Amino acid sequence: MIWLSSRSRIAVMVLPALVLFTAFFAYPVLYGTGYSLTDAQGFSEPRLIGLDNYATLGDDPFFWLSLKNTVIILVVSVAFLVPASFALALLMQQRIRAAGALRALLFGPAIVAPILVGLVWVFILDPRVGLLNRLLVPLGIPEIQWIGGDSLTPYSIALVFSWASIGFAMTIFYAGLQQLPGDVMEASSLDGATRWQQLLHVTVPMMRETVGIVSILLVTNVFKIFELVYMLTGGGPVHRSETLVSYMYFVTFTSQRYGSGMAIAVVVLVLGALTSLAYLVLARRGRSA
Amino acid sequence: MSTRSAPPSPATVHDRQAPAPPVGAPGVRRRRAAHRPAPSPDAERRRRLRARLVVAGFAYLIVFLVVLPILWIVLLSFQQSDQILSDPFSVRTLTLENYRDAIATLPLVQMYKNTIIIATAAVTIGTTVSFMVSFALTRMVFRRRGVQSALLLYFLAGLAVPVYVLLFPVYRLDLALGIFGTYAAVILPYAVVSIPFNTLLLTGFLRGMPGELEEAAIIDGAGLFRLCWSVVVPVMRPILATVVIFNVVYVFNEFPFVSVLINDPDLATISLAVSKFQGQYSVNYGGMMAAATLVLLPQLAIYAVLQRHVIAGLTAGAVKG
Amino acid sequence: MPGYQPRRHGRRGLAAAAALAVALPLAACSEAGDTGQDGTTTITLSMQNADVKTADPATWAIVEAFESANPDIDVEVSGQPVSEHLQSLSIAAQSDTLPDIFWVYKSNAEEMLAGDRLLDLRPILQEQGVIEHLPATTVEHFTSGDTVFGVPYQGLLTGLWTNTKVLEDHGLAMPSTFDELLQVAEELDDDGVVTISNGASQSAFSVWQFLVWLDRFGFEDRMDGLLDGSESWDNPDFVRMYEHIAELRDAGAFSSNVATQTYQQAVDQFLQGDAAFLDAGVWAAGAIQDSDVAPHAAFWKGPTFADGVGEQNIIMNVASAPLAVAKKVGEDDAKLAAVERFLGFYYSDEAQQLMVDNGQPPVTTYEPTLEESEQSVLSAALDAASEDGVAAPATQPDLVFPVAVANAIYDSIYGVIQDQLTPTEAAALVQRALEAE
Repeated sequence: MIWLSSRSRIAVMVLPALVLFTAFFAYPVLYGTGYSLTDAQGFSEPRLIGLDNYATLGDDPFFWLSLKNTVIILVVSVAFLVPASFALALLMQQRIRAAGALRALLFGPAIVAPILVGLVWVFILDPRVGLLNRLLVPLGIPEIQWIGGDSLTPYSIALVFSWASIGFAMTIFYAGLQQLPGDVMEASSLDGATRWQQLLHVTVPMMRETVGIVSILLVTNVFKIFELVYMLTGGGPVHRSETLVSYMYFVTFTSQRYGSGMAIAVVVLVLGALTSLAYLVLARRGRSA
Repeated sequence: MSTRSAPPSPATVHDRQAPAPPVGAPGVRRRRAAHRPAPSPDAERRRRLRARLVVAGFAYLIVFLVVLPILWIVLLSFQQSDQILSDPFSVRTLTLENYRDAIATLPLVQMYKNTIIIATAAVTIGTTVSFMVSFALTRMVFRRRGVQSALLLYFLAGLAVPVYVLLFPVYRLDLALGIFGTYAAVILPYAVVSIPFNTLLLTGFLRGMPGELEEAAIIDGAGLFRLCWSVVVPVMRPILATVVIFNVVYVFNEFPFVSVLINDPDLATISLAVSKFQGQYSVNYGGMMAAATLVLLPQLAIYAVLQRHVIAGLTAGAVKG
Repeated sequence: MPGYQPRRHGRRGLAAAAALAVALPLAACSEAGDTGQDGTTTITLSMQNADVKTADPATWAIVEAFESANPDIDVEVSGQPVSEHLQSLSIAAQSDTLPDIFWVYKSNAEEMLAGDRLLDLRPILQEQGVIEHLPATTVEHFTSGDTVFGVPYQGLLTGLWTNTKVLEDHGLAMPSTFDELLQVAEELDDDGVVTISNGASQSAFSVWQFLVWLDRFGFEDRMDGLLDGSESWDNPDFVRMYEHIAELRDAGAFSSNVATQTYQQAVDQFLQGDAAFLDAGVWAAGAIQDSDVAPHAAFWKGPTFADGVGEQNIIMNVASAPLAVAKKVGEDDAKLAAVERFLGFYYSDEAQQLMVDNGQPPVTTYEPTLEESEQSVLSAALDAASEDGVAAPATQPDLVFPVAVANAIYDSIYGVIQDQLTPTEAAALVQRALEAE
């Protein structure tokens, strides 16, 4: 390979991606960060104001609320989705008629546009016209405000996010399970391990890396949830159900406070990066241990 | 690893699609019997049959629950609008009226045309440059290794960046480049946004791919382009298929960028059009659902044809990444 | 030379990709152009509705009539929901790619004017003889210094549409004061009927009635102070106003799904006869006229308050957000002429009658002809506006502030309606937004 690794050849291979990525990704991140230090709003010229936007965010109850909601969605999604999709992958390994078709169906929601997912779930979660209350109310259960109420909306968004992601996560786990060396599995069962023991002491440890991958993908996706909120509640009532990103969109584009909006974007960026980094470190440590 | 009664045989690990051996096949039973005092073979067989039925039933139930929302939308799309509020479960008064409304309102052909043009260009550019850089970062020999890993980290860091931070800056960039108001306004950001994930998958695959073929080709005197095109790309077909499919799905579904960067309704993609449904149909739920179904079903149909590639590709890429 | 060959290939591949990237935008570009070869001039009109044809039939009808009278001018109408529309505009303003004529909030128009993006309309309006047909206060409202930066798009006449049949069926008299309204709400709630239909989802701005209430609690007197920071939104009068909203809420006046229903659904609720009042404006007249509610429809300016501040007999009948024209229109003579003709037509008696035909009050001094039997609903509203002794405020309170503050005002009102904010929290919320400016 060293023969072909001349400086110019490397440049030819690396530069297109490097130039495009720098121009349309890295530079905009810096540009947005710069904007967060200005008072840019409405239609007027921006002025540098230092960290004022960040200080204002600290006093903004809706910002903290949207952060709280994001964390709720994050915790519920990861705590539920990772084990559930793993269990589902185990289930899909069983000899079931048409297992391939079942896996395909489970993956289906992952390819539906999030904006459409939101629209679809309005007709399930809406307190008045939604399927869920249509089924529950006749059973004598009082009308539940799945979306639009005080408290349940973030959980409902986590549910919808889980619906859209579970097949995707399951598929990665399933693929990981397929990679497990058959002889190790067989050896452990020949050693007389029960299925539970085998699962806990052989399968799970060997799947650690896959768990890391699935978690990173899910966490970064949670930080990108926007269309669901946009379609389900529009962030309401009175910003009670905003996520960081949807609130950022509101501040930036609906309220036209570009500086403040970019400040939220930077917070989202830092949080997303930190979480991913934490997982990477954990995964690496796990691998070397 | 599994709750199945029989331990996995090597054959089933490598080929899940193989027909399951009949319940209680001799080989399976013998192995179990060696480890535990076996109950009467008949009772054992029935117990296992029951367990398997429970497992299968459970699997079908979960899949049904996952598919249910889509079925519900399809049912509503055939329901008369006043029925949706009063008696949505009724199947006696189904109608095609909603579809007539939706087809009359939606510029379906235009939406698909725009989306396909944008997806083709964005995915071609995104996949090509991602492949090139992934190959360089895993296969080529950098004089300074630090540069190599720093570059990889640079690209992968993009995975953690929410695109929302890019919207406004990219808009300004589009304007500065004079491409605002054209397809390229979204093609370039789409191509670039896909680079981190593509690089994750492709470098992961390349690292796990044995280099013998390449070395043989180099010894045969192949140059860089021929090496990539005739040796590496063919081996990477499955993962490239995955990359392409994922990127196409991304472009089809993307909303934030297109909502900011495309302001000409004639250039609107499917996602952008869907976002207008609530405004266009306001309280015509049936029309809204029919429009949603008209967008949803073709996507699901295409997916149904290609799903094997997606799953096979993920196996090779994501897990090794 | 084995190493040489592939490098060229590599470059060729790159070149192909680059060519592709360059060629695509070019291909898409070639469809632009303002003045077509056949001599037609295209002007763009960008509005605050996703579907102008159905959501804003008055504007649509005027454009249609204008185009058939002026075959050499093509008006390209586009529209997005308010927030997306403003977003596109703000982006376009910074890049000087504004549409030719567009709907915009007054505060944004003033900012655009400061950035030298707007055309001074005074010459056009004088040339077309429009200015004398517009009420002087309206022109003044959209004048900054000597520049007229906007023209009224439509009149903003808001109030509570009333379904008198619902009141009669429950043996209730038409309320007049707030205490009477509160009583009506309590009685209707006992019978499971919504008193005032509102919908917050994707329409946080649909709080018109409560903006009038602000005027009944001394908004006009405080306006300048609020704008220059010498007055606080968090004052006893406004807090009292919010307390009254809370009283109505506690009396069960609002729909249980006020948070998730959209404004359209709120209208629907009223049209189905499920609510006694609808918080809306004259633009809803057409829909009401077409419904079963029409024979029982009345238009109410809203309750008076014993503890209010200043004049209580007021009705919200003001100029709405303006239409503005991009400065660069002035650089293109054909375009300028077309825009001039369009505006001239927009304020002509013919177009104003088209507005009335489509359920909008005229914005000029034109006296419309109403088909009493077919437009009973609209004429109820127009009658209420011209009732003896009723006054109109200078503007609707939200329209004088930047969008962020306007949003906070809406949030504060819906926050109390949905029991998410206490009256003091609501007032403090708006004050915080004011201070952030």
